[in-house]
Amino acid sequence: MSNSDQTASFLLRFTQKIFEDEKGESNVQWRGKVSHVQGNDVKNFSELKDAMQFIQEKLSALTLSSIEADDSIEDKEGLLNKSLDIWKRLAKNYPKMVVDVIKDPKAQVSQIQEQLTSKAEEISSKLDLNALKPPSKSDINILSEQISSLTKLVHSLEDKIGALTAKK
Amino acid sequence: MENIEKLIASFSEAEVRIFSFGQFKIEHKEFEIPDQWGRDKAMQLFQFFIISRNRHALHKEQIIERLWEENGTDQDFKVALHGINKALEPNKEARAKAKFVVRQGAAYKLNMEYIWLDSEKMEDFIAIGNKNVKSNKEIAIVAYQAAVDLYKGSFLPNRIFEDWTTTERERLQILALDAFLNLAEVLLEEQPSESLRLSEAALNIDNAWEEAYRIQMVAHMINGNRVQAIRAYQRCKEVLEKEFSLEPLPATNQLYRSLLS
Repeated sequence: MSNSDQTASFLLRFTQKIFEDEKGESNVQWRGKVSHVQGNDVKNFSELKDAMQFIQEKLSALTLSSIEADDSIEDKEGLLNKSLDIWKRLAKNYPKMVVDVIKDPKAQVSQIQEQLTSKAEEISSKLDLNALKPPSKSDINILSEQISSLTKLVHSLEDKIGALTAKK
Repeated sequence: MENIEKLIASFSEAEVRIFSFGQFKIEHKEFEIPDQWGRDKAMQLFQFFIISRNRHALHKEQIIERLWEENGTDQDFKVALHGINKALEPNKEARAKAKFVVRQGAAYKLNMEYIWLDSEKMEDFIAIGNKNVKSNKEIAIVAYQAAVDLYKGSFLPNRIFEDWTTTERERLQILALDAFLNLAEVLLEEQPSESLRLSEAALNIDNAWEEAYRIQMVAHMINGNRVQAIRAYQRCKEVLEKEFSLEPLPATNQLYRSLLS
């Protein structure tokens, strides 16, 4: 089977928007852009799960293109299993990361602030961290939907492996 | 203004001029440098030195690992380096020290003393613009104008698939976007049509940059064209919905409501 290494590089851009809503309350919004370097393909997103989905699609395509036609069923199964393992780990860790953000927004915002450029630092220094609200029901609903979506993706990959095993 | 004049003069004073936006091109003051340098790796290595110019000199092994990955050898590096020296210093004697790519032990670095680089000068002009935008509008306009004139397109467009160019391309694109929009904003009252052109150029770089639509709305209103101002808002709304599934920011909606009243 083919042993050649292949690289997929992704660039993530986040733009922070600080604004006052109609009620005069301070809000923060993040707009993101993920680029797949080797494919010169780009996707804008406001939910991190959409960026993860984009990355997953590109990596899945890379894995599938790496499975040469003359590979044995065992080789194909092995590759897909390994790819699935990576996504299982991601599915396990990604929701935790989102939970961390919701549980402790101050720590997360502080971490992001450290990485911002001087201009962004100037803006973010005006942000009153104490004004950030605790998680709302809608935050928790969004989190549940994201976990559900990732679970479906993992199931879908499991089904594909099941089908390959059945063929064998 | 003195700093701007110095920056402008640096173009004609430089021995070598590098154009990295829109297309890659190098000019030498005294002779023509060919577009092709034998093997492409020589040009890649030179472009890698450009991107790494502000770092400490890079060790040969680091460069080989980055550009050739696992397959590179010392010989590959030597051949590529020879290609650079042959193109930039065709009359250099075999054992003489190279002028543009200098060696420090086993590490190498680009000597910027003799080199004019468009992306570097764009940054310098933007820095002057940012420094003067509130205190001296006239200087800010000249500096921003010089910066946007230099930005002819994406950084090293022939290397968009190479991940070692990505960070620098992104960094410069954001700088250019800010320069286009800062200039568009400064010119709004006196030259609204030029503001429209500049904000449209910014939208060609990133069509979801909301600030550019706000500038367009105001510029159309100053020109007395309410219909076009409303169209700019609608375009903004459609793009944000399509790209992010988001509404425009309250500031944009507020501006829109003021157009209707």
